This record gives sequence, structure tokens and C-alpha cells, in this order.
Amino acid sequence: MPPAIETTDLVKEYGDLRALQELSLTVEEGEFFGLLGPNGAGKTTFINTLVGLVRKTGGEARVFGYDVESEYRQARDAIGLAPQEFNVDRFFPVREVLMHKAGYHGIPEDEAAERADEVLKRVGIYDKRNERFDWLSGGMKRRLLLARALVTDPDLLILDEPTAGVDVQLRHDLWDLVTDLNDEGTTILLTTHYIEEAERLCDRVAIMNEGRKVTVATPDDLKRRGSDTVDVRLESAPPAAGALEPALGPYARDVTTRGDHVEVRVDDGGSTAPRLLNDLEAAGHEIADLEISRTSLEEIFVDLTAQEDRTVTRSSASEDADETGEEPTKRAQEGVV
Amino acid sequence: MLSVGFRALFKREVLRFVRRPKNTFMPPAITNVLYFAVFGVILGNRIDQIAGFDYILFIVPGLVVLGAISNAFENASFSIFHGRWNEYIHETLTSPLSYVEMVVAYVGSSAVRGLIVGVIIAAVGRLFVPISIEHGLYLVATMVVVTTLFAGFGIVGGLVARDFDDLTVMNQFILRPLVFFGAVFYSLETFEQAWQVGLSLLNPMVYMVDSVRYGLLGYSDLTGVGILPAPYTEFAPLVSLAVLTACTLVVLAIDVYLFKTGYGLTD
Repeated sequence: MPPAIETTDLVKEYGDLRALQELSLTVEEGEFFGLLGPNGAGKTTFINTLVGLVRKTGGEARVFGYDVESEYRQARDAIGLAPQEFNVDRFFPVREVLMHKAGYHGIPEDEAAERADEVLKRVGIYDKRNERFDWLSGGMKRRLLLARALVTDPDLLILDEPTAGVDVQLRHDLWDLVTDLNDEGTTILLTTHYIEEAERLCDRVAIMNEGRKVTVATPDDLKRRGSDTVDVRLESAPPAAGALEPALGPYARDVTTRGDHVEVRVDDGGSTAPRLLNDLEAAGHEIADLEISRTSLEEIFVDLTAQEDRTVTRSSASEDADETGEEPTKRAQEGVV
Repeated sequence: MLSVGFRALFKREVLRFVRRPKNTFMPPAITNVLYFAVFGVILGNRIDQIAGFDYILFIVPGLVVLGAISNAFENASFSIFHGRWNEYIHETLTSPLSYVEMVVAYVGSSAVRGLIVGVIIAAVGRLFVPISIEHGLYLVATMVVVTTLFAGFGIVGGLVARDFDDLTVMNQFILRPLVFFGAVFYSLETFEQAWQVGLSLLNPMVYMVDSVRYGLLGYSDLTGVGILPAPYTEFAPLVSLAVLTACTLVVLAIDVYLFKTGYGLTD
């Protein structure tokens, strides 16, 4: 069975702007795959290339082995898309909107009606079936987008920031629903700004920035790439950090002192802490307390996109920005809020 | 061609205008009551017969064409543009319909609206004057062709338009003048100067109005203005229909090409 999504050197240019830059990505069938990145990273462009709303400039894109341009009918038939924007037919009650969408996918009218009712119940807005889209609340509109994506019973469900601006209850409902769908075998591609969402739901995530793939990994792998901070409180104030460093091994990547605290950055706080404590005691310090702060996926995300920005900056901009890295970091942080 | 997907889109498009008669069928009905009352009855009584027909009867075919093609154009251009504006045309574009199916569904449904409006206008005319159909088959063929042609133009209009004003401009400043100078309210025989007739023959509407007039009344201006050499002048209506059909096929091919390349639809 071919992968659910396979792109090779995918490029999309808008004049001088390169929205996708040689993006190669594979999402296996049955995966729950997350796409993370700041605004303008190219996530929506990538999705729209798969469904035919954006025409690629170069490279290849396949959905379950079908080329998205030369075999567009098969590729589109496999996809259910819940987009970011509310792009729903305003002329008809929502039940009919769903029936039309099912019809476009070749589902006969009787069955389309059954499916429309079924998905409306599944997302919890069956009692609104005769309302028009404009009369639904924001949360209901979001649910309808999901219902519309599901009504064709897609093998690949694409959710473009499905929980943006929704309340906590709905967010949890949506999480439960998509988890069930994935358990039933539907491949899911999710883009999100919420790191917690990706961490909670996704088997693997790709981090994108400025149209490039920064990395692909499981959320756990990503977290392991980050550094932890071990904060040790000593019974008496330690000497300056520079004086402490020789007593500690190369595992200590960064040492700072503050009052009676020593903060040490290490790769894996859990396994390094005992050794750190031993080294501190061997150097004559008495331990009072210990706290390990694990790196959040969010910090890693910011770090990775900032590194990527620095790489880009290095090749195109001044040395000053390269040295400090402040500007790119700020951009990346703004992007994920 | 008649796949489930095609039928679903066609039905959606037809339901859109059928469920809004106040916006789609009432305006042409009322407008044409006014046309027939003012031009046909009040002014018509002071005008001599044209080509052997009472004036009110002479203008029926032109008004039928005017209403039918305007509505076919308006329906297609609005449906496409409104779908683009609110982005719900994505529902169609992200579906497995072929580009030919999409175009034929949009064009076909708009042509149906044009045909229905044409029948409504003829029915309104019938309230004022008895109408008999001289060449029924020819009339139906012509009406199908001209409404399809203008629905096809409407697709182009809907794809090219950048805002709703562009649609108004197309309808009011291009379509309507061509129709009014398309011999709706007069016969080409009215013109005394050859250049006036020559200029009129450059207007494609002249051929449409004349064809429908031939189908409905059995009279064609074009047989008398020398567009075909004797003894072939009587074939002018058939030549008109053939040329209009060819134009329609070209416009449909352009529509499919635009959908295929995503013009105005995709980034």
C-alpha cells in the first residue's frame, strides 16, 4: 500500500515568494501526523496543494499513490478536508450542504442523506440540521466543517487548525472524535498552533518553517532533543559558576549560580541528576533540594524554528543578526502564540 | 457524463435559483409585463406593422432572447463569483468531479434558468397577444444554444470578476447594449443605409434575435439582407444556428480550459 501522502521536492512559488521549498514528506497510511509551524510556514499551502486548491510550481505530490494533478479525481476522492476558513455553501440548510458534498463524491442521494444525518449526530449538531450555516455559532460552524470532511468517509482526513478559537469542551470533543477515527483506520493530517494538541494526538510531527521541513520526529523524540534544567539548592551559597564548572563533567552544558542555587543545563535531566549530585557532593557542597524542569515541546519548537531562521539569516542577511539570533527567535515565538 | 457527482452539482445549481423565485423569476416577469404594456400596447398602437406583424408580436422574440440570455449569463456568473467570494466553490473544487463535469453542470443549470425565463416571457407576451410557434424544433434548438452560449460566457465572467461591480458592468454595459442594438425592437429593414445594416451584422445578438424570431414567427430579417447569395438566402437561419452552435462549443472549451488551469479558482 502506498503512503497516504508522499511529496518529493514540492515547490510552490508566488512570484518571488517561495511558499514551499523542496518539501519532501511522507505520511504513512493509518498515521496521526501533525504539521507544526509558525504563521506563514506553508502548512495550509501544503494541504491545499493536495486537494487541488493550490497548483504546485514543481516537485511531486501523491495521495495514496495518486498524483494530485494527473490523477486528481482519485486523489481528491480519498481526502476529507476541514479547512481553517469557513468556506461553506450559504444557500442551503447544513444537512443539504453535506448531502451535496457527498453527492459530488459519487454517493447516491439516499445514502448521502443517511450519511449526513450520521455525521451531524457524530459531531453533535443534528438538531441544527435545517439551519443555514450563517445561523450557527462559531463552535457549531467548526463542528460542521468536520462533519463535511467526514461525510464522504475519507481515507485521509486533513484538519487545518480545527481547534483554533474553540472552547475547551469542544476541543476535547474534537480530540476524542479524531482519536476514534484514527483508531478506526483513518489517516489524519493535523495542522495546529497548539503544541499540546500535537503532543497529545500525533504519532509523528513535522516542523515547518518558511516553506521548509525543519524536522520530522515523534513528539517523544523531539522532547529528547531538548535540554533539561536541573536546579540544585545547596545548604550554603556556591562559588561563582566558573569555579564550579571544573568539578562537573562534560554533561553540564551550561552552569549558572543564583544565591544558594546552581542551575545546570543537561541533555537528559532524569539520568544525569544523580551524577550531578555526586559531583557536587564530591566538590564539598551539601545538597538541600533538587528540581528538574523538562523542556516542553513548545520550547523545542521555538528553538528549532529559531535555529532554522538563523540558518536562513546566515545565508542571506547581516552578521549581526546571525550572532545574536534575537530577531529570528522573536519571530518564531510570535508565530506560535 | 451523467455521473452521480454531476447530477448532484447540477441539482444543487438548479435548486439554488428555483428556491428563490423572488430573485430569479419574478423580476423578468414583471419587467416584461412593463415592456409589453408600454412598448407593445401604448406605443405599439401608434406604430405600423413590421414585416407584416403587429409591433407587439414582432418584439416578443427579442424580449424572450433578452431575458433568456441575461438570466443564463447572470446565473452562471453569479454562481461562480459568489462561490469564489465566499470560497464555498471549494466544495466542488476539492471533489472528484472532472473539470468537464463541473463546467457542464454550471453551464447546463444556468441555461435551464435562461430557458425557464424565456418561457415565462413568452407566457407574459401571450397575455397581450396570441402567439403561435412556426418552427418549434428550430426554436427549441436555438434557445438551447443561445442560453448555453451565454451561460458559458457567464462562467468566464464569474472567473474574471474581482468584485460584484464587475458583474454589473458586464451585464449593464456590455450585454444589454448589444441586445438593444440587436434588432429586438426594430427590423433591419428599418435601416435605409447599407452601413447601418453592415454594422448591425457585426453584432452577434442580431443573429440570435433573428433566429428566435424565425422559430417563433417564421420571419427572418437575415434572409433579406444578402448575407447569403441567392438562391441560398432562405438558409440564413440554419447558418445562424450553425455558427451560434460553433461559438457555443468554443466558449465551453474555454470554460473547461479555465477550470483545468484553475484560473480565478486556485492559487
